[in-house]
Amino acid sequence: MTRVAVVGAGYSGFNSNTPDLSWKELMYEAAVRAYEDAGVDPRKDVDAFVTCAEDFWEGFAIFDEFVPDQLGAVLKPTFTVDADFLYGIANAVMIIKSGLADIAVVEAHSKASDILTFGEVIKFAFDPIWLRPIGKAHPYYFAALEKSAYMTARGYSDDVFAKVVEKNKANGRLNSDAPYAGKVTADDVLRSEAVFYPIRKLEIAQRADGAIVFVLAREEIARELTDTPIWVSGVGWWSETSNYDTMSFTAAYARKSAEMAYKMAGITNPARQIDVAEVDDRFAFKEVQHIEALKLAKSNEIPELVEGGYFGRGGDLPVNVSGGSLSVGNLLEATGGQKALEVVLQLRGEAGRRQVDAEVGVAQAWRYIPTASGAVAVFSR
Amino acid sequence: MVFNEKIVDAGELKHIEGKIELYWIYTSGEAGDRFFKALKDEGKFLAAKCTCCGKTYFPPRIYCEYDFSETEFVEISGEGCVRAFAVATLDNNEESLKNPEIYAIIDMDGTDGCIIHLLGEMDAEDIRVGMKVKPVLKSKEEREGRITDILYFKPV
Ligand SMILES: [Zn+2]
Repeated sequence: MTRVAVVGAGYSGFNSNTPDLSWKELMYEAAVRAYEDAGVDPRKDVDAFVTCAEDFWEGFAIFDEFVPDQLGAVLKPTFTVDADFLYGIANAVMIIKSGLADIAVVEAHSKASDILTFGEVIKFAFDPIWLRPIGKAHPYYFAALEKSAYMTARGYSDDVFAKVVEKNKANGRLNSDAPYAGKVTADDVLRSEAVFYPIRKLEIAQRADGAIVFVLAREEIARELTDTPIWVSGVGWWSETSNYDTMSFTAAYARKSAEMAYKMAGITNPARQIDVAEVDDRFAFKEVQHIEALKLAKSNEIPELVEGGYFGRGGDLPVNVSGGSLSVGNLLEATGGQKALEVVLQLRGEAGRRQVDAEVGVAQAWRYIPTASGAVAVFSR
Repeated sequence: MVFNEKIVDAGELKHIEGKIELYWIYTSGEAGDRFFKALKDEGKFLAAKCTCCGKTYFPPRIYCEYDFSETEFVEISGEGCVRAFAVATLDNNEESLKNPEIYAIIDMDGTDGCIIHLLGEMDAEDIRVGMKVKPVLKSKEEREGRITDILYFKPV
């Protein structure tokens, strides 16, 4: 069966808001750049398009119907996955491997700045009978409960999460598309307001806008199109349950989706074989959970490794060298897209001043509050 | 055009405000119906035990999510232990709540499940993981057969 490679990547953003462009124009900008990067004409060369979106983030229904024009996909096969960009990558890989397409495009975006009632939209994802009617607090409280359960289960102190924020905000300073990068120390994090104790203000990724488009192709075409194909060597996705009473609160969804992706990629020792990782850090504790779930280190060693800079830009296994969502912002369903983009840029050697030495990278995204679902993609040079 | 003629005068930027005003009824289903009737009429708590593996679910449901077989209702005390807690200071619009709310994951006695609900009659500083709590219900006349018939949980 053919291998599948990323042959083009384009993006627009990332910014705290984008009042001059509509969400469609954001997609268009990213698409034009991706097609230029890949050297393809969407009207002639692309066989299938996959978009990733959730109607409630968009503010209208049947999102997939709004897609084709701004991607050059009119009168072509398209569909929308109501999930993160990495689920779109998984679908594109299947479409190409099955022989239905030679070249497929994946898109995800965030126009979070258009959402006036972000908290209410998330609340809409809470079970309407058992959970939504309880209390008046912002749904961030659900993440705070998960952090509380996770910290207790692992015996971690808050220092490790504060250090994650310090690291990611520092990494973001070398990323010109990271609007929330900054000079923040772990002490600053611990001193920031405990808005959702045990989560402090600086541990929460703020919202951002942007769009990401990837062009994927089967092996023979990929080699014709580019000298630096980045292979999608593994994909995985997994859901625990929608019920809070049976959720692990230790990111089993990430562990299982990573196992699925690693198996496909032939990775047996991720801690040694993965050179660079971009994981979902929309709350600081999620990065720690996901490092553990992706088996990038043993759980009892993580606090020490974080403290010692092991996951820093100059460390043995850089995690969120882009600055992560804590620097780039919460891109909603495009979160995994930004993470995959960073991995692709790193593997191509196009990451500029934040370049690290890497041949194999992993991108991971969670479906956000209140889910226990997510996806993983492994890329290699 | 979009690449070389950006709008730079913020005063020229246009947008339209919109809202979605939608209404539903949410059916609570067989398990929810049994639970909320018992809560409303008798102040009792029901869980659901899998007839195959014996796992006891709370909130109750009519099927086991692991082996996909049916469950039967069992009565429980409604008391439990705090597994995790959070103190929320902001509302849905990220504005300060008049009074911070304390949420908890409470492992329910006699079950493998839990409830997420509010804690009351205690200060955040006094909460400990593992502490025993019991539900405080609305008076029988005020109860409507909803999860909010439980006002909060308080220390035993
Ligand atoms: Zn069972």
